[in-house]
Amino acid sequence: MIRDQTHMESVERWAKYVRSNKNWRTLHTEFIDSQFENTYRVINELLKQPNGKEKIKSLYGIKNEKGYPGLFLK
Amino acid sequence: MKLARNLWEDIYKAPYNCLNMERRVSDKNILNYFAEEFCKIVERHTRYIIVSGFVAIASGRARGTEDIDMIIPRLSKEEFYKLHNDLLKNKFICMQSENEEELYGYLKDNLSIRYTWKDKPIPEMEIKFAKDEIDNIQLSSRVKLPLTGLNVWFSTINANIAFKEEYLKSPKDLEDAKHLRIVYAEMINEGEIKEIKKMLRKRK
Repeated sequence: MIRDQTHMESVERWAKYVRSNKNWRTLHTEFIDSQFENTYRVINELLKQPNGKEKIKSLYGIKNEKGYPGLFLK
Repeated sequence: MKLARNLWEDIYKAPYNCLNMERRVSDKNILNYFAEEFCKIVERHTRYIIVSGFVAIASGRARGTEDIDMIIPRLSKEEFYKLHNDLLKNKFICMQSENEEELYGYLKDNLSIRYTWKDKPIPEMEIKFAKDEIDNIQLSSRVKLPLTGLNVWFSTINANIAFKEEYLKSPKDLEDAKHLRIVYAEMINEGEIKEIKKMLRKRK
């Protein structure tokens, strides 16, 4: 099942760009890193909430709290 | 209350994650950096392959993911303990437990265990033992992919396409397969893809 034809066309367009442009990696790096930066921004916001630590544990399925002292053991 | 910023900056500045300098030269994103660091340690102990979404993403597919999937051969308890302890020594943490015996139990039951950098819940490496002949074939035919710019072993492009088109089949997987078909057009072997698909139909 595909989402819709226009979405697949945009996947194809980008794949062709990767094949033919050497600078694809710069754009791609910005794209990937910005997602992680935003996730860590949200983690920060969650930690301000009274039950934020619990939310983070459920979001990421963390059972080994000792491995994340900066998040859970402060 | 600047934890997120600090965690993020930490990823770029900590001694074991020196992306800050390196990315200007190699243009590596955080997933790439994480994968290479992790694989470097695993390689000291066993054969491995990276499969599925990260193969497409490392090859330029523009979508997000928080995890990278890795398959390793079925290790003995002692072999796994050595690998696990080497990962801990190098600032990786298993999300499920610190107890190596418990973790080995997950793997033996064909469940995955997940590692992250200490104190950083993402990205994560999801490790599984090879569970059948298809996984073993993938492990023995592993490849490096120059387009990714990574010193990491991947399962073959044809195997990834077969899994995504025949076994996983979500819209995201079909789009990944399309991306791989275009960027690796010269490596596509329809006969091989068909063979792997046939094996996958038996797995179901």
